[in-house]
Amino acid sequence: MARMKFICDAERCIECNGCVTACKNEHDVPWGVNRRRVVTLNDGIVGAERSISVACMHCSDAPCKAVCPVNCFYTTDDGVVLHDKDLCIGCGYCFYACPFGAPQFPQAGAFGLRGKMDKCTFCAGGPEKDTSKAETEKYGRNRLAEGKLPACAEMCSTKALLAGDGDVLSDIYRERVMRRGRGGDLWGHATAYGVKASAAPAPVQPAPTQQKS
Amino acid sequence: MNRLLSRLAIISATVALAFASVAIAQQSTGPTLPPEELAKQQQQRTVQQPYNNAPTWDKARGAVAGYTSIPGVETGVLIQDGGQTWRALKNGTVSVWGGWAFVAMMLIVGAFYGWKGTIQLKEAPTGRMIERFTLTERMAHWTTAITFSILAISGLILAFGKNILIPVFGFTVFSWLATLAKTLHNFVGPLFVVSIVITFFVFLRDNMPRAIDFKWLVTFGGLFSGKHIPSERFNAGEKIWFWGGLMVLGIVVGVSGLVLNFPNFGQTRSTMQLANLVHLGGSLIFMVGALGHIYMGTLGMAGAFSAMKTGQVDEAWAKEHHEVWYDDIKAGRIPAVRTKSLTAAQPVGGDD
Repeated sequence: MARMKFICDAERCIECNGCVTACKNEHDVPWGVNRRRVVTLNDGIVGAERSISVACMHCSDAPCKAVCPVNCFYTTDDGVVLHDKDLCIGCGYCFYACPFGAPQFPQAGAFGLRGKMDKCTFCAGGPEKDTSKAETEKYGRNRLAEGKLPACAEMCSTKALLAGDGDVLSDIYRERVMRRGRGGDLWGHATAYGVKASAAPAPVQPAPTQQKS
Repeated sequence: MNRLLSRLAIISATVALAFASVAIAQQSTGPTLPPEELAKQQQQRTVQQPYNNAPTWDKARGAVAGYTSIPGVETGVLIQDGGQTWRALKNGTVSVWGGWAFVAMMLIVGAFYGWKGTIQLKEAPTGRMIERFTLTERMAHWTTAITFSILAISGLILAFGKNILIPVFGFTVFSWLATLAKTLHNFVGPLFVVSIVITFFVFLRDNMPRAIDFKWLVTFGGLFSGKHIPSERFNAGEKIWFWGGLMVLGIVVGVSGLVLNFPNFGQTRSTMQLANLVHLGGSLIFMVGALGHIYMGTLGMAGAFSAMKTGQVDEAWAKEHHEVWYDDIKAGRIPAVRTKSLTAAQPVGGDD
């Protein structure tokens, strides 16, 4: 069985927000909710700027699921974390627990009263019958049931954002790292194993020995 | 009095800080260097070790916001890892200890009832009544009591229903119950905060600690010795409940509850996590105390419930439980009836 995952390659993401737009369009996401967002770190600092597209990561040990007072979360056979909006009471606990800020709440009244939680479904809908009208209205389109992968990754112009079976994604990413000839985002590899001179895009200074990683 | 109030404020602040420090203790897993330094390191590394983004990922883990075009609170934060600490404390330490403390208190109260039963008056009632609580005092008390009970029950449903009620009712029915509990909790909460403020001022004057309370406290009101320990209108136990329960826990639970109830002021997740832990822990302590208070006011002590229901107590009851207060009334230092309209309507003999 596949284990669905997202990978975002920071070397490729160009902060175009195509994934964000694709998601909003595909699912008619409620007003004020963004299931996916692009964050740029070190914005405008030459040589240090990196962008990442982030949404629900469908954790193996999902914190949202652990703290939900009505147990509305469930994990599918594909490893996708979904929730039942009919059970959700809008308490906000999943939002406090999630490290990625994925669960969001449309405002249902004055003073920030929360409606039913909404988050990325990995384009896999909800507990209703696959591709039924009720499912589409509550959770958006169920692309997985149609044999398609999430719209955000499909739309990604640089293929920075990948979605699908974790093993397949690992193979693609491993190949990219090999082509680059470096440790990539496997932290500390370049420092530990040195830098292959042939693969360097620019003249490389010898790595200072006292530098830690 | 001012010095006393300031001391109590310090004590309540210490209690709140003790809660806070537990939650924050493990939360400092953010970046070890300032963000600008990490950006500089990344610049160097991009040249010296291309494709090594370690300094950037170090930054991603702290609550340092990057740029994002998505509006909202903390949308620029990639990873907020306080949630993990919150989850561990909420589902673990606080709920487990607080929950069992509540169960233990119920057992203690039950055992106490088995031991003492309802404590009856030693002397026969005289039939002469003294006004113990005015209508205003009773209304303040019962508004607090009713709102507290609604909040306690709905809060327990939300905190422990997942473990106890879902296996009984199933998901759908429990979800309706939880929706009802959450709505009641959110709307009754602010009313409770208002009512504890009013109750505080209504009962403040007669809850000032005195030397006599110390004597009552060290002997538990003569509970074990069986000796009579005189007390004022409120004994030391009642005063502790007033200051520790109504005031300190009222502030702790009330303020943290308001923070959680009105998420529209741009609170960050770490604020909500902290507020939730303080609220959960504080309210469980509050409920443990309330079990004792409710027990003494109903089953535990004959005459206590009717005192708060009708406002009247028998002279024998007053003499037995609050002798100093009784003597003051007898000596005319405190009027036996303080409600003016009541005096006019039905004169109650207090000095015959």
